[in-house]
Amino acid sequence: MTEELLAEPETSGKQLAGKELAITGFGVLSGLGIGPDALVDALTRPPEPVDVSGMFTEPLPRPDAHVLVDFHAAEHLGRKGTSFLDRGTAFGLLACRDALADAGMAEPDRARTGVVLGTTAGSLKSTSDYSRDTLTEERPYHVNPVLFPNAVMNGIAGQAAIRFGLRGLNATIAGGPLALLQALRYTGVALATGRAEVMLAGAVEEFSPQAAWSVQHAQRRAGGTLPAGEGAAVFLVEDAAAVRARGGRPDACVLSVTCSGSAASPGPAGTTDRLRECLRAALDQAGASAAQVRTVALGTDGTPWLDDAEETAVRQVLGAGAARLGTTQVTGVAGSASGAFPLAALLARHRAEPARDGELSVLSTRSADGSVAAAVVRGWSRAGGDHG
Amino acid sequence: MRRVVVTGVGPVSSIGVGAVEYALALRAGASGISEITSFDASGFPHRMGGEVRDFQPEKIVRRIEVDDWGRTSLFAAAAARLAVEDAGIDEELLTGARAGAVLGTTAGESQVLESVTRQALAEGYDAVSPERMGRIDAGRISLAAGTELGLTGDLLTLSTACAAGNYALAHSLDLIRTGEADYMVAGGADSVQQWLHAGFYKLGAVAEHACAPFDRDRAGILTAEGGAALFLESLDSARRRGARIYAEVLGAGLNCDAYHMVAPNAASIADCMRLALADAGVRPDEVDYIGAHGTGTPTNDVVEFTAAREVFGDPPPPISSTKSMLGHTMGAASGMAAIAAALGIAESFLPPTINFGTPDPELPGIDPVPNTARPAEVGIAMVNGFAFGGNNAIVVLGRCDD
Repeated sequence: MTEELLAEPETSGKQLAGKELAITGFGVLSGLGIGPDALVDALTRPPEPVDVSGMFTEPLPRPDAHVLVDFHAAEHLGRKGTSFLDRGTAFGLLACRDALADAGMAEPDRARTGVVLGTTAGSLKSTSDYSRDTLTEERPYHVNPVLFPNAVMNGIAGQAAIRFGLRGLNATIAGGPLALLQALRYTGVALATGRAEVMLAGAVEEFSPQAAWSVQHAQRRAGGTLPAGEGAAVFLVEDAAAVRARGGRPDACVLSVTCSGSAASPGPAGTTDRLRECLRAALDQAGASAAQVRTVALGTDGTPWLDDAEETAVRQVLGAGAARLGTTQVTGVAGSASGAFPLAALLARHRAEPARDGELSVLSTRSADGSVAAAVVRGWSRAGGDHG
Repeated sequence: MRRVVVTGVGPVSSIGVGAVEYALALRAGASGISEITSFDASGFPHRMGGEVRDFQPEKIVRRIEVDDWGRTSLFAAAAARLAVEDAGIDEELLTGARAGAVLGTTAGESQVLESVTRQALAEGYDAVSPERMGRIDAGRISLAAGTELGLTGDLLTLSTACAAGNYALAHSLDLIRTGEADYMVAGGADSVQQWLHAGFYKLGAVAEHACAPFDRDRAGILTAEGGAALFLESLDSARRRGARIYAEVLGAGLNCDAYHMVAPNAASIADCMRLALADAGVRPDEVDYIGAHGTGTPTNDVVEFTAAREVFGDPPPPISSTKSMLGHTMGAASGMAAIAAALGIAESFLPPTINFGTPDPELPGIDPVPNTARPAEVGIAMVNGFAFGGNNAIVVLGRCDD
C-alpha cells in the first residue's frame, strides 16, 4: 500500500455540505444470495435466473427471476415479530443488521443513529393486495389491519428503528434507481447539520407478481429483456473526520454526490447532457480528475436507449479507460435496490482485493424519467488495518 | 449557516386554492368535508372525506401535460406552481439557479396502482398499458413539481407518511442553510383512495361525520387530499429582490419513536419538540402558537398535548389543528399546517380548530382556538407532524421583522 493512496484525497472544499462521508460497514442481499461474496462471484460467473413459477398464486409475466425463492424471514431474524413482515421489510432488517455487525457497531448510540432507506413505491404487493381486498371481499373494509404498516412506504425504516432501537432521524426516499444516491446526499446534509451522527443508508425492493409485471412492462416498453430481481443493500455512514479521529479506517469514503432532476427533455440527448454535467460536478466536488478514476459502476439495466445514453455521457467525461462495472445484468431489475447494488459490489471487491486499496470509482445512475445522479467513491480493503 | 425564509405559499386544498383563498377560509373556519366521490364509498359505514372537488390542474400548471401524471403528482405540480407565482420570482432565473423541489407523501401514486389493480382483476396484468404502470413510482411526485418549474437541482420525494411535509421543509431548510441550494420548493401531496380509507377505517381511526380535534367526543380522522408547497430562499436573496416575507424558517427537529408502528409516543414527541426549539434557538416561553398534528383520534390528541405540557409547562401555547377543516391530507398535512402558521404570522391571526364543542378533561388547560380564528400577534409558531413508523418532524417558524 503506497503512501500516495493512503493520503487524504485532495479536497476542493466543495464537498457535500462540508462533509466527507465514510462507510464503515455494509450489508447486502439479492437473488444471488445473502452477503457480499455472492454478489462479487456473480460478476465473474453470471448465474441464470431461477424458476419462480411456484412462488405465488397470481400469474407472472415470465417464469424466471433473480430471487431468493426459499427465503423465510424467521430463519434469519428469529420468529419473534417476523410473522407479519413482508419480504421487503425482512430484507431491510437483515441488511441493516448485517451493516451494523460489519461495522462492529454492536451498541450504536441510539439517540444519534438514524435510518434512511430508498424505495420505488414501497411494497407494491402489500399496497395492491390491500386494494384488491377492498374490491373483492364482501365489505370494502374487510382488510387486515396488521398488514397496514407494510402497505405504507415508510414501514421498513420504522421497523428497523424498532428492531435496533434507533431513535435518530428516520426517513424514506422514493427515487427508484436514484434513491440510494439521494439517500447518501440526504445523509451528508443530516451529518452536516447535526441531525444525526450515524446513518444506515440503503435501498430495498421485494419480488412479487406486481413487481414482476412492473419490471416486465418497463423492459418491454424500452426494448429490454432482463428479468426482475430483489434485495437490499444498506451502508453504515459516518462523518469521515470523526472516523479518522477515533483511529478508524473507513471501508470507503464518498467524496461527492450529485443529483439532477429531469427538467425538460427526458429522452436520450437530455439524459446524456444532464448526466455529463452531473459526472463533471461530482468529480469537481471530489477534487478528482477523470484520469484517476479506475472503475465506473453503471446503472445499466438492459434498456438500450438508456444504457447508450449513459455510456455516451460516461465516455464524454471519463473516456474509455476506466473499467465498466454493471450489476443489474446479474441481480435482475430491482428498482431502488438496483441503484444500491453497484456500491455494494465495489465495496465487496475492495474487501476481497487489497491491491485495489485507495482506488477511485465513480457511480453513475439514471432513470427512465430522465433524472440522473453520480458519486465519487474511494475504497479500501481491511487488510492490515484495525477497523472501527 | 444562512437564514431561510418563506416567500411563497401554494395550497391546493378543499377549503381554498392559493394563498388568498386559503387564508380567507382559515379565518372563516371553513370546512372542506363532503361525501367521498373518488371511489364508490357506499360500502363503508363512514363515507366523509376532504376531497378537492374542484381541482382543475390544467388551469394551474403550464409546462407539464396533465394526462401524463397521476392525481398526486398533479397536486404537487399545481402547488409548486402556485408557490412560485406567489413568491413573484422570475422563472427563468430559477431554471438556471441551484433550485430544487422536495415533496413529501404518504401513499405516493398508489391511486394509480389501485386503478391498475382493479384493471388487472378484471382483465389481467397484460392488459395494463406500460405507460400507466410506469406512473406508479412515488418519485414522480417531486419530478412533476420540478418539471413544471424547470428546476435542475435536487428533486426528492420523501415518503415518510403523515409527517412528510415537515420532512420536506426541514430538508429544504438544511439545503439552503448549508449552501447546497439557493431556492427550494418544499411541501407534500396525497390523494383520497379506497385502500387507504379502508386501512384507516379498519384501524378504527376514521370519524363518521367530522374531524373534531381536542373535543371530548372526537372520533378520528377523515381521509383527505391536496397539495401544499412553500417557496424557500435565503433571507439575503429575499431582501435583494425585495420579496414579501411570510415567515422565517427558524429550525426543525426530527426523530423516531423506535417504539410502535402505529401508536405515538409522548416522550419521543416531547424530545422532538425540544430538538426543534434548540435547532431554532427558541425558548419554550417564546412560542405563541402550535400548529398541531391534531388528527382528531382519541390517542393522538392526548399524546400530543401531553408532550406539549411536558415541554411548555401549563398551560401550553394555543394549539389548533387545520385537520378539523381539511381532514387528514396525509403527506400534505404538515405542509398545510405550515402554510397556515406562516399566514398567521404574516397576517396576525391564529387558525381555528373547528367542530370544537366539549372540552376534554384529559386535556386540561388546552386552548384549541375553538371554532373561529383569533386576531393575535404570532412571533413564533411550532408546526408538528407525526407519522406511522414513529417518524416525527417538527418545524419552527418565526416572524421576520428585520
